[in-house]
Amino acid sequence: MKPALESLRACLDGAIPAVIATCAPDGTPNVAYASQVHYVDTEHVALSYQFFSKTRENVLAHPYAQVQVVEPGSFRHYRLRVQYLRTETGGPLFQYMKAQLAGIATQSGMGKVFVLRGADIYRVLDIEAVDPRLPPAPPPPDALLRLRRTLDHLGACDELAQLADRALAALTPGFGIRHALLMMLDETGSSLYTLASQGYGHSGIGAEVALGKGIIGMAAHERILVRINHRTGDYAYHAVLRTAATNEPRIPLPVLAEPHSQIAVPLMHADRLLGVLYAESEHDAFFSHADEDALAIYGRHLAALVAQLAALPDDAEPLPATATPAPTGALLAVRYFPDDHSVFIDNDYLIKGVAGSILWTLLNEHAQSGRRDFCNRELRRDRRLPLPDGGDNLETRLILLQRRLAERCPAIALEKTGRGRFRLVLDHPLALHAMS
Amino acid sequence: MSIRLSAEQAAFLQGPLSINVGAVGRDGWPCVCRAQGALVARDRRALTVLLAAGRGREVLDALDAGSGIAAVFSHPATHATLQLKASCATRVAPNSAHHACHARYAAAFGSELGALGYGDELVRGLAALMAAGDLAALRFAPEIVFDQTPGPAAGHVLAVA
Repeated sequence: MKPALESLRACLDGAIPAVIATCAPDGTPNVAYASQVHYVDTEHVALSYQFFSKTRENVLAHPYAQVQVVEPGSFRHYRLRVQYLRTETGGPLFQYMKAQLAGIATQSGMGKVFVLRGADIYRVLDIEAVDPRLPPAPPPPDALLRLRRTLDHLGACDELAQLADRALAALTPGFGIRHALLMMLDETGSSLYTLASQGYGHSGIGAEVALGKGIIGMAAHERILVRINHRTGDYAYHAVLRTAATNEPRIPLPVLAEPHSQIAVPLMHADRLLGVLYAESEHDAFFSHADEDALAIYGRHLAALVAQLAALPDDAEPLPATATPAPTGALLAVRYFPDDHSVFIDNDYLIKGVAGSILWTLLNEHAQSGRRDFCNRELRRDRRLPLPDGGDNLETRLILLQRRLAERCPAIALEKTGRGRFRLVLDHPLALHAMS
Repeated sequence: MSIRLSAEQAAFLQGPLSINVGAVGRDGWPCVCRAQGALVARDRRALTVLLAAGRGREVLDALDAGSGIAAVFSHPATHATLQLKASCATRVAPNSAHHACHARYAAAFGSELGALGYGDELVRGLAALMAAGDLAALRFAPEIVFDQTPGPAAGHVLAVA
């Protein structure tokens, strides 16, 4: 029986290079290594086009070729009869292959010479199993079972903060994933911010990634799952951070300096992007194709839960005011820069953007009226806050602010007092300075 | 006309390399097969590549029908790669030197992959694949040699008849 193309996905991870045989117009054969043979769908593969090579010259003239791929772990060979159809130079497939190629290139020490110029799409016409008598590779761990175990650990969540933490924690017993981030799309749709992290020396809560930057930004921009199974310099965030502007306040992403495997899963609810789930490992080939499938489903599930929790109605009013003693101790200087809504506490950067604006509004409200109890509903209506209509992101922004305060300035805290209700708790008196 | 391989090229081609041989069938379909060792003639004007006849049936049939041959030799650790082409190749009966070459190659290539971190399962699979008893030997006199090390210089002609 002819093997199905999807059963060969393990052969297409670049662990053992594939070769492609083509034919020149004069009938001369040519054999070349293919850096990357990418599974597109049940009938198509894509090969990376990096240079104008003899292979390319041949397939443009005579579109029939044979590709030999090898199953890692068994050394079983397969030959694919393929027909060249077209070249794509942009879009999700191209971007995915570009990211994967960067991984392959770095692994092989040839990062500088591996630049993707196009994704050559081939139709697979026939597949031959060359070594049917060789024993197959040991099967990878059952990804469906891993997914089920992950969902069991995720359990029922009735608020977003709990979901954010459990979504990452459940990956460890489920998939053995020890390093992960949950990033949410911001109001502008141009960057993502870290809402939760697991397995790093510092939490990186609030750290941002621009859409299109690195594997996380690309997964968000193209709305595709991206998996890189080799160490890569190009898509490591330390490289991205080095090239970024250094004069603006920034929370560093807490990622591994040299991840050997990375996966970025867009959190899509219907056709809406809510964020990205990112996981990485110090080991090569950590994520199998089946893990990719399972994590894609997990991403959909998480996105549905986020949307469901965000849509729950808030309590209508804040709690009634209660008498509290005035805070004592050293005066904390809070500086606010309206241009980017950044807030500094005693000259240390705390937060910016919507979360910074919320904090500044709450602190001013408290300074003027003594109020400590607030509710989401009033914030959604507050014209001083740069929230989009409906304030969809308010709850995640409050979680971000709450966590950032807990890490960097415990003297100011936001305590939850109900669904969509919270209390501002101050341990020190504050001096508020709005900067021009 | 054939070319004379340099001593360095001859040494390289007989190393623990990944070797693949291609041809074009009567129907115009290109085909490829992994080879299992190479032996360069003493005068360095010809070489013999070894492959399992069963695995390489398509390539052997194409060559029997008069196809040209393309053989790619690549060092897995460095990616240094040469491609040799000739307008024809002749099947020769494998002799004891070929069998000895094959045995040496199988052991050396297995060690090479093992040293690169490929797992025991893969090396065992390679050994099983190499154990095929149906060795075929293809002799050809290269007419052109290309440097095919990945990069912008890939395809550079190193020698031509």
